[in-house]
Amino acid sequence: MEAAALAPSLKNIAPQQEYLLQGSILDTHRDVLLHRLRGLCDNAERNFEAFSDYEAVYVLRNSSTAQQSQNQHVTFRVRHALDHSDAPDHIRYLGQAELGDRSRHTLVRACLDVACSSNVRDFLTEMGFRIDHDYVVKGHFFHKGRMKVTVYKIFRLIQPNKTDPHNLEPLGQSHLVELSVVAPLGQEQIGEDMKNFAEQLKPLVLLEKFDHRKIQ
Amino acid sequence: MAAPSVNISVEAAIEHQIQEVRYDGQEIYLAPLSMSENLSKLAHKIDFYKDESEEKGKPTSEGEKDTDEEKVLAPFQPSLWPWDSVRNKLKNSLTEISVLYDVLNIVKEKHYMVTDPVSQDPPELKASLQMLAKKKSLVAAAQLLSTGAERLKRVQVEMTSNTQDNFLMELLKLRRNWRLKKVHNTILGELSYKSAGSRFWQGGTFEVLKTSDLAADGEVASRKSSLDVSIPSELEGVAYIQVEVKTVSDLMDLTSATLKMPAGLGTVSADAYWQQKLEVAQNVLFCKELFAQLAREAVQVKGTTPHMVVGNQILTNVFPGIQLSIVLCHYTGKEKKVNLAPHKLEHNHVLEHSLHQLLREVHDRNLNYSPPHPANAMLGMSKRRRLAGPRAMSRSELVEMVQSESLLEQILKQTKHAVLRIRTMHVIDQLAVSIQDPQICAHWSCLNSSLESSVRITITSYCYENCKTLLVLLIGIDTIKVVMKDGRVCTLLFENSELRDLIQWQICQHHAQSIQSLAKMQGWQVLSAIINSGHGDMEAYGTTTDVMLASPKGNVILAFHSNPVSGNKLAIKKLDPSLDAHISPAVTASKWASLAGDFQEINLNQLEGRNLVGKIDMLMARLTSS
Repeated sequence: MEAAALAPSLKNIAPQQEYLLQGSILDTHRDVLLHRLRGLCDNAERNFEAFSDYEAVYVLRNSSTAQQSQNQHVTFRVRHALDHSDAPDHIRYLGQAELGDRSRHTLVRACLDVACSSNVRDFLTEMGFRIDHDYVVKGHFFHKGRMKVTVYKIFRLIQPNKTDPHNLEPLGQSHLVELSVVAPLGQEQIGEDMKNFAEQLKPLVLLEKFDHRKIQ
Repeated sequence: MAAPSVNISVEAAIEHQIQEVRYDGQEIYLAPLSMSENLSKLAHKIDFYKDESEEKGKPTSEGEKDTDEEKVLAPFQPSLWPWDSVRNKLKNSLTEISVLYDVLNIVKEKHYMVTDPVSQDPPELKASLQMLAKKKSLVAAAQLLSTGAERLKRVQVEMTSNTQDNFLMELLKLRRNWRLKKVHNTILGELSYKSAGSRFWQGGTFEVLKTSDLAADGEVASRKSSLDVSIPSELEGVAYIQVEVKTVSDLMDLTSATLKMPAGLGTVSADAYWQQKLEVAQNVLFCKELFAQLAREAVQVKGTTPHMVVGNQILTNVFPGIQLSIVLCHYTGKEKKVNLAPHKLEHNHVLEHSLHQLLREVHDRNLNYSPPHPANAMLGMSKRRRLAGPRAMSRSELVEMVQSESLLEQILKQTKHAVLRIRTMHVIDQLAVSIQDPQICAHWSCLNSSLESSVRITITSYCYENCKTLLVLLIGIDTIKVVMKDGRVCTLLFENSELRDLIQWQICQHHAQSIQSLAKMQGWQVLSAIINSGHGDMEAYGTTTDVMLASPKGNVILAFHSNPVSGNKLAIKKLDPSLDAHISPAVTASKWASLAGDFQEINLNQLEGRNLVGKIDMLMARLTSS
């Protein structure tokens, strides 16, 4: 980013969209997928880039209109890296997912992702947010151009607020695979690229757009 | 014909027709057609493609049968009644049936006519023509067979000589090193650096060919390899980046901005091994990208000295009088053989290598971002950039973060350093050769970077090595930092003379210090030692170092004077013991009384000894006892 470009972008931040495809793979076949991804992605000559993040989801419910709008709430996700203590925390807001019609290949949702200092949890709590659920994700990260591929597993915390390894309980028998791009609004070409990339993983993992409301 | 007694009523079924069935099962009916509507509907179903015009002539030929029909037809004709055409049709068919009936009757009765099958003439058979035709078709068949056999034979040969296997094996080898993909019937490969992070517009697609196919076309009879590659024409030939640092007059030398092509650089022969071909082509692409990048930067960068891009050459000033020229040499073999005078190529391989390295670093940066932590952080930011928000970095810090050096700036820095290093080396070597006393010895550090190197200079006198003067030179981009023996640091610019002066000045100091250490050993007393003395005549450069010594007995005073320009001088003064009486109470010893006065200069050249320190050593030893 050029220095001169910083000032106007501060005035109105371009709305960012996350283009997302998801799939899953059984634990036993994860390594095959990792090697396939390593061959396909850009950082091939380096070793697998592992990550281990703790994510807590904070919810602010609208208490004033109790009955009619029970599901009116604001959700923020706060994440920090467990294996990189110097990395900043990240607060993330995800908008309503749009599935779109068949011509759109990916799920699209508004996405705001901001790095912040580590006292963001206290700040949210002070504002009236309550912790909804939290979990730890561990996995590997790849990138191809601006596409980000993560293969990870979700761990449940047996005791709350303790993220040491023996307090973690893996959820399920499989790993989650996500292909995502965060880009400014209205770049439909990305969907095409992502679909082509997902095609290359086809027999191993099926990356699709999932409607999260249906799963719930 | 049907019996007239049976009546057939033609009418529609009473059922109501269903127009639509709704999703809830409700049926919507159509109202039944009335009799006339039904009739007209049926009438419309009849195909009336035959026109009435045919019938116009017929009634006349038909004779009496039609006369009563015509009466019926006449009133209806103008009104184009729906049944009109039906009637016409029926009439038509009736006519035809009657004609047929008549014909059949005539044939059957055989009264007037007998029908016999007509015998046709057998076609004339020409033997020669037939033979020709047969010959022709045989030849065609034979040709088909022989081409088939040829192909089979070729495959057989390939099988026996394993060239088929060879092709596949070579394809496998090719596949290991290069990216290939199959498009329809051709195999295409990619030799550009796009997958390695390059963003150069020019592509590098090559095609994989099977040489046995080429051989069949009679193109090339024998080849070493059964696989060949065809490379796009713009990547053919040999290319390299020629980097030259040369001394020019103060102005830029534009006349040298011509295409220079060393004659020794040949093209790749047509039947070279594919691996070599591909590597050379890839290098051409790389050099093109490198030059394009440098040329773009040369135009964009607003430096204190403008860079010039002339044709395939980039010119820029390194130091006053030193010019760096970067030339893209691309030799395709199609150029005219210009008889260049044997141009002495001062190609700087190190800088060329650095250029390649720099571009590869750019490629690497394009491809390898620092991984995001946590995993949903923005991709493509540096680690520091991610921390900019939480740490509330200022604008100036951010601006500083985004500033990156262009390739040209970096190579310019490296060139400056290289030039400065070579200059320093020359200065030290020249001094070491020209100055025999004392000895100058340089130790170059083998651990250096492309932007910094260091050298340690030791100044010693032969046989008196215990006294030495050390200097450390840190050669930077365009300055030299000198750390002297006593820890003082001074910074020199890129001019040669500055360093030369400094070393000569250090030599003077070395002499003075050696003499002082001699004095200590021989029991002489140092009366005064001034490194930068203001006494004496004005010199062109440098300052004088003075030392004054008194003999142990105090009767002899030596004055040493050393200057880089006027050289070393030694003067002596012998004290007259009779002067003792005049000493004032402030003067504690007689030697202090004789600091001024008449000194006699000693001709250093005629003293005995191998070098200056040795000579003075001898003299001091002699004077100690006197």
